[in-house]
Amino acid sequence: MITAEWKPIDELVGYVRGFEKVLLVGCATCVAECAAGGEREVETLAPLLTMALAKEGSQVEIVSGTMERQCEPEFIEEFAAQAEGAQAIMSLACGIGMQMVAERFADIPLYPGVNTASLSVREEPGLWTTRCEACGDCVLGETFGLCPVSRCAKSLLNGPCGGTRTSGNCEINEDTPCIWNRIVERAHARGQLDSLVEVKKPKDWSNSPAGGPQRMLREDLRP
Amino acid sequence: MADQNQNSQPSITLVYCRQSLAEGEEPFEGKRTGQGFTARLVLLPCSSKMQAAYLLRILEQGQEAVQVVACPEKACQHLVGSTRAEKRLAYAQDLLEQVGVGGQRLGLERGLGFTIDKIMELAGQRAAAVAELGPNPMKGVSSQ
Repeated sequence: MITAEWKPIDELVGYVRGFEKVLLVGCATCVAECAAGGEREVETLAPLLTMALAKEGSQVEIVSGTMERQCEPEFIEEFAAQAEGAQAIMSLACGIGMQMVAERFADIPLYPGVNTASLSVREEPGLWTTRCEACGDCVLGETFGLCPVSRCAKSLLNGPCGGTRTSGNCEINEDTPCIWNRIVERAHARGQLDSLVEVKKPKDWSNSPAGGPQRMLREDLRP
Repeated sequence: MADQNQNSQPSITLVYCRQSLAEGEEPFEGKRTGQGFTARLVLLPCSSKMQAAYLLRILEQGQEAVQVVACPEKACQHLVGSTRAEKRLAYAQDLLEQVGVGGQRLGLERGLGFTIDKIMELAGQRAAAVAELGPNPMKGVSSQ
């Protein structure tokens, strides 16, 4: 899932300061799963912003709601009536959803309520860890299903780096497993350690975010 | 005149787990007047039904504070219900601190065998605790 985290509260309050009516919208998919922008978080943030501004002597009407998916125009359209009269919109969706809302309601300023963080899994309740960086040239087939791009602090394709702790964790962060240690363990368990001896060539990074905005086109799906 | 006095008294929402009541004690829901405060009592099947959003919405409505009454950690019928309630309340307290409204506006007390009078006492203690914070900034703003 795409994970996100609330921006600092004072930043959020700063965004809505000075407006009389604000539409606060969440998204019921990824950001709901990571407890950043679902219905619960929207309904938590709305009264918090109202009280923060009341404390300053300002009044704001916060109209709140949660879209089924903020990255789909059909679901955004359902909020057209609520956006009516709003002087600003704050979105708790990922950066994709926010931009879709900003595009639909282009005449209303949109403010981000969250920082989009990563492509992660919920490892255990309250803990999300990154699994993918959308690098555009997947190597999982060569690394026993464990991603060194997103899970190695140095994104090494030929690891481990030599800094692995005796606990098997990363030298950069002791709470993070050294993914190359895990790759080696998995290769060993499958009797395929030799496959790691071969030096891997540099990846094609042109499909990664570093290669500029990506565009995916499927002629067979186009109207 | 009596009404005016009541309106100037701090209003506390008292949310309590049915498990925390003494055996035979009749649950009560609704408004009660305590010494120097008024309380709105809400009975819950488990304190874990209380989410951070609900706590903040209650304060947004102009209530001075929310006192949650939960069962002891090992006595929760849902095993971790009261622990979850405690964590959610702590989270909401932190948010309130960050916006300067005061985390003390939320409180939680654990226990078993409470009478309604006893939990009213807890509400009174919460009212006293928030007195130094001054009135809820939403007082008079919201149409409670």
